[in-house]
Amino acid sequence: MNRPQSQPTGGTITPPPDRDDPGLARERTALAWTRSALTMAASGVLIARAAFVGHLPVLGVVSAVAMAILSGLMWRNGQAIYRERREAWMPQRPQTTAFGLLTVATVLIAATAIAVTVAI
Amino acid sequence: MGESRAETHDERSSNAGATGPKTAGRDEAAASEGRTPRRWPAFSGRRERRLEQTGSDPDPRFTFANERTFLAWNRTALALIAAGLAAAQFLKFNLHGLRLIIAVPLIVLGAALALASYLHWEDSERAMRLRQPLRYSWMPRVLTGGIAVIAACGGILAVVDRLLH
Repeated sequence: MNRPQSQPTGGTITPPPDRDDPGLARERTALAWTRSALTMAASGVLIARAAFVGHLPVLGVVSAVAMAILSGLMWRNGQAIYRERREAWMPQRPQTTAFGLLTVATVLIAATAIAVTVAI
Repeated sequence: MGESRAETHDERSSNAGATGPKTAGRDEAAASEGRTPRRWPAFSGRRERRLEQTGSDPDPRFTFANERTFLAWNRTALALIAAGLAAAQFLKFNLHGLRLIIAVPLIVLGAALALASYLHWEDSERAMRLRQPLRYSWMPRVLTGGIAVIAACGGILAVVDRLLH
């Protein structure tokens, strides 16, 4: 029997959020990544501005571009977490590499900030 | 920090039955690929694998909560760095170098908290996998003390700077 044309075939019915994401832990984590991405982008603008004030334009451009890319990756990570909703009850693999990279990046940003601060 | 905890590398296989069938297919697939990180570009994952082989998987909600806590501390660190940059640009002391006494400690505090937040995340993750109590973090104390000391220095410097000129 053919299915009637009017019936939706590829459509998905969104389940109540609490069934696939208890306590909305996944959604809150995705939003936390989004917040962090925005903070990273804003910090990039601040560093670039300070670097130009301190007559370090190359350092300013390089760090702004690097932080923009990092911010994009963090944003994408948040979106990826949100999209994996149906796997909410998969055990989560410890994100050692991602968190380590973010930590190293933050320390590098601090080092750049000190260089810029001294130059102003 | 974490060395005092015994790492039970072989516990995971004995717990495989307890965690249920929900992970079997995917974990095997991941293992055959060498367990590359799922959401980030491939990178050396040895540390990741070692943590993953410790104990057994906790409730995903706890893992997510730990992740959010790490991110919140990282944002705090970035905010401190931004505050240091702002102090460097917008503080106007008669002695130009004095603003470094405010700006540099703020940035260093940010870097220290970024490092500490990673260590705290890893320590909490390991404790949760081993079903051990979480340890309290010294980070709130350092943050509070650091900001108080830097603020006090700022006040004193403002007075001294005014008196000298």
